[in-house]
Amino acid sequence: MNKKPVGLLALDISCLVLLAVATYLAIIFAPMEVNMGNVQKVFYFHVANAWVGMLGFIAAGVAGIAYLRSQDPKWDIVEVAAVEISLVFFLIAIILGSIWARPVWNTWWTWEPRLTTAAITEMIYLAYFMLRGGIEDPNRRARFSAVYTLVGAVSVPITFMAIRFFRTIHPVVIGSQSAQAQGGFNMTPDMKIAFFFSLFTFTIVFIDLFWHRIRLGFLANKVEELKLKVME
Amino acid sequence: MPFTTPETTNYMIAGYAVFFGIFILFITSMAIRWSNLKRDFLTLEELDNSKKP
Repeated sequence: MNKKPVGLLALDISCLVLLAVATYLAIIFAPMEVNMGNVQKVFYFHVANAWVGMLGFIAAGVAGIAYLRSQDPKWDIVEVAAVEISLVFFLIAIILGSIWARPVWNTWWTWEPRLTTAAITEMIYLAYFMLRGGIEDPNRRARFSAVYTLVGAVSVPITFMAIRFFRTIHPVVIGSQSAQAQGGFNMTPDMKIAFFFSLFTFTIVFIDLFWHRIRLGFLANKVEELKLKVME
Repeated sequence: MPFTTPETTNYMIAGYAVFFGIFILFITSMAIRWSNLKRDFLTLEELDNSKKP
């Protein structure tokens, strides 16, 4: 039953190696930033986690569209998988940002545009699971969830662009930033290596976990079908 | 007064500890859910087979 595909096993092993290398590059290889000290090294994983978080929320929206067009339950499974994984990565990104902010901004949290929109996005997708938990009929649940992820996906570009549209203290590493930004820095070539390698690593880790979570969803579906069959 | 780089190593360690902590917790939760579902599936399959004449 559902033997793990060789491709998935290869991806699991690749993820372990990539994560080890990414951690090495971020903590040891990348130079220390002089104004912030070692806490700046949190940035490599912070951005990478936020990236895959947003990627998954968008993927969930796409799966939502696919479900609404086809009414195929497999898209509902894909959608749930994307939201669950992204919720975890996005939460990590928020916590890492808060840890970075403590010594740099002298506060764990401030209600500036990026942090506020990120918190709202996280709560929107947390509420997604509450919505699902409140609907018993599977078809109705899938339809409502699909529409919800479409509406929820709007929060992703808003969160991404918040530091570019508004006057904010959150730094913009790529592109021009607001004069109020605190904790910004220019990346050296070694920092860029650590940064882009982290982005690549987390993209692969996301694909791997996404695959696992989709398989889990399909197995859960099979168990539900079998339960109904046995109870008949 | 000369500028000295602040000592923020503890925050860096906390950041990576939080990442690996939550990440491992999530993977463990997926593994537990998988094994529970697999067990349920096998039990239900057995029940289903026993119902067949």
